[in-house]
Amino acid sequence: MKVVATYNIKGGVGKTSAAVNLAALAAQDGLRTLLWDLDPQGAASYLFRVRPKIKGGGRKLVRGRSDVTDLLRGTDIEGLDLLPADFSYRHMDLALDAAGKPTRRLRKVIAPLAELYDLAMLDCPPSISLVSESVFDAADVLLVPLIPSTLTVRTFTQLGDFVAGEVDRRPRIVAFFSMVDGRKRLHREVLATLPDTSPDDVVKASIPAATEVELMGVERAPVVVSAPHSRAARAYRALWDEVRPHLGV
Amino acid sequence: MPLDVSTVSYALPEGVDPLALVAYLDKRFPVISEPGASRTYTVLDTADRRLRAAGVDLDLETGRGGPRLVLREPGGRPPLAADVRRPRRNRYLLRDLPAGPLRERLAPIVEIRALLPLACVKVGAQLVRVLNADDKTVVRVSLASPIALVGPDHAATVPLTPRVDVSGVLGYPKGLGRVTAAVRRGPKGGLVDVPASLADEAIAAGGGDPEGIRTKVRVDLRPDQRTDRAAVAVLCDLAGMVDANLPGTLADVDTEFLHDLRVAVRRSRSVLRELKRAFAPEPLATQRDALRWVQAITGPTRDLDVQLLDWDHLLSAIPVERHAALAPVRALLLRHRAAAFRALRRELRGPTFRHAWDDYRAFLAGDLGPTGERPDARKPIVDAAGGRIRKVYGRMLDMGAAIDATSPATDLHELRKRGKELRYLLELFGGLWPRSVVKPMVRSLKGLQDVLGVHQDREVQASYLRGLAGELAKTTGGPAALLALGVLVDRLDAEQHEAREAFAERFAAFAAADQQALVGEVFS
Repeated sequence: MKVVATYNIKGGVGKTSAAVNLAALAAQDGLRTLLWDLDPQGAASYLFRVRPKIKGGGRKLVRGRSDVTDLLRGTDIEGLDLLPADFSYRHMDLALDAAGKPTRRLRKVIAPLAELYDLAMLDCPPSISLVSESVFDAADVLLVPLIPSTLTVRTFTQLGDFVAGEVDRRPRIVAFFSMVDGRKRLHREVLATLPDTSPDDVVKASIPAATEVELMGVERAPVVVSAPHSRAARAYRALWDEVRPHLGV
Repeated sequence: MPLDVSTVSYALPEGVDPLALVAYLDKRFPVISEPGASRTYTVLDTADRRLRAAGVDLDLETGRGGPRLVLREPGGRPPLAADVRRPRRNRYLLRDLPAGPLRERLAPIVEIRALLPLACVKVGAQLVRVLNADDKTVVRVSLASPIALVGPDHAATVPLTPRVDVSGVLGYPKGLGRVTAAVRRGPKGGLVDVPASLADEAIAAGGGDPEGIRTKVRVDLRPDQRTDRAAVAVLCDLAGMVDANLPGTLADVDTEFLHDLRVAVRRSRSVLRELKRAFAPEPLATQRDALRWVQAITGPTRDLDVQLLDWDHLLSAIPVERHAALAPVRALLLRHRAAAFRALRRELRGPTFRHAWDDYRAFLAGDLGPTGERPDARKPIVDAAGGRIRKVYGRMLDMGAAIDATSPATDLHELRKRGKELRYLLELFGGLWPRSVVKPMVRSLKGLQDVLGVHQDREVQASYLRGLAGELAKTTGGPAALLALGVLVDRLDAEQHEAREAFAERFAAFAAADQQALVGEVFS
């Protein structure tokens, strides 16, 4: 099982949208896929109409006292299962801190699922914390959505430095541009320059700022399912086609 | 660790419109009907249906990215899929599949057998999703109208039983029970269990046998049945196995076709030898000669198959740095195997085999001659076969007891040959006696035969490899290969020695006093 985490220190950059759409595409491609909604806001769980609650809460889960298979829920997309969010995840830092070897905990939680799934997609909350360090340890690939802005380069570099310096089991970092508005000159300029500075880490596909993506909360389905021929859906398909070879699945 | 999701299948009775079932569900549950979709796929399995026996379905589909294998099994495991290349020579061997979970799942089931296309199916399906109070799908109901595509180019169609599959969704167990109960009651008197799997139905529709090629004889024998008739019934079943394995042998689909063909011939020879007094001497001698000839012409290819099948095992005990040096040996074995197979195919396609086999079939179908020439013909089979079992067992006890550390390898080989006779008698006629007697006897015999088999195989393999030395010396890399060959032969000698050391213990179990007493009592 390969593990991908959608991560950014900032919120509202398209992490959840990327996680649910890429997970849906992976399942449509025949991969046995798990999506773990790690964000206490539970947006991914909401999108799949799954109640954001797990028996025993996050504390029991990270301490290995819950049978993780009992907590899984099938989604409306065949081949895609969800490990739902729980509001107690807001204290996951504390739960991890109280457990031994906190940065290895999340990897341990999903280890029993390795035979059941080809791909696990972790939808992470925005922050840089013990939770994110544990995510870095569990992930094979960190998928980082970037809104094209001048601060983006700085944030992205900071993340790369942190992972290189602080994480023992380093995931590969793959970034993509998200919420791109082609009418904005700044977006166009950043798009044109950043891939040149880090050509190996930034994929070509970018996700547009599109109404269909915003409407996912209304449709309560990934845009690749509710509007599969839309511009946004095609962009997620292109992104998945570029990311998949990095995973070897 | 399977997940708790299951699918229950029902047959839609004739005359019931699938749309009536959709309306029936719509009245009882909040549902969403998806647009209908169809898919066409090829059912794959080994010739002896190993996947079927393991409860696994393997389909070859053509999707967006080309051919794709999809493996499905019950018990809530999600399907496994892998992109593959188009099959070479209309088959997949394990080595043709990409490394990954699908190949790992198939490996212990399929082993060395080829995966073959057994049927082509087109399924038009309508999916109905049953929702809970959150409008979340909790049960899926699929109404499928399958057809088998048969004949040349799959141009003809045969309708198959329409099916209703009710599948649970992980984490929502309650809905499945309610929907299943409702579907079972169904419109117009309810639904019934499916008569057979879709794959089985499609294979039968194309004229195939859903059970595949058998390796076990299936003949109902009565203890008081005349020996000649019982023997002929068993021989006909075995001849059917030879016929079933012949095309796969000629096409060299996988090594097991030839192996199973040879086993069927060897068992037939055993029946003719052990129950010879049920047949007239002259035609019997002719047929035994013919079958001996078949065994002889198929032997060299099989011996080389054994060499090549054991290759990885033998290499595993040799330092990795010597493996490259052995490449010329393997190349030589492959060349010899190709030559042996060409000769085999020539013989099996030639007039001698055709006439011999037609003649043998006619012998089985015809009049066996006056019983005056066949003293055991009317004897009850339980007496004739039982007497032979007791006799062969007794002979093996004498032969085994005479074997010690100084006995030549041929003594062990002779004992093994007797052991095969006994094993075939037990396999073919064992059903006439209680399982509680036959099963432990077969188990201890198998234990003995395993070590005798390794002993003999290693003897033959080592001798063959030594014989390659002259030819090998002339090839590129020959001197290095010869040195490495020495290590390989040492390995074979060591395994033969180990088998010999294990012999005494296995034979003691086979010759245990309680087993001897049981054989004397039951087969008297």
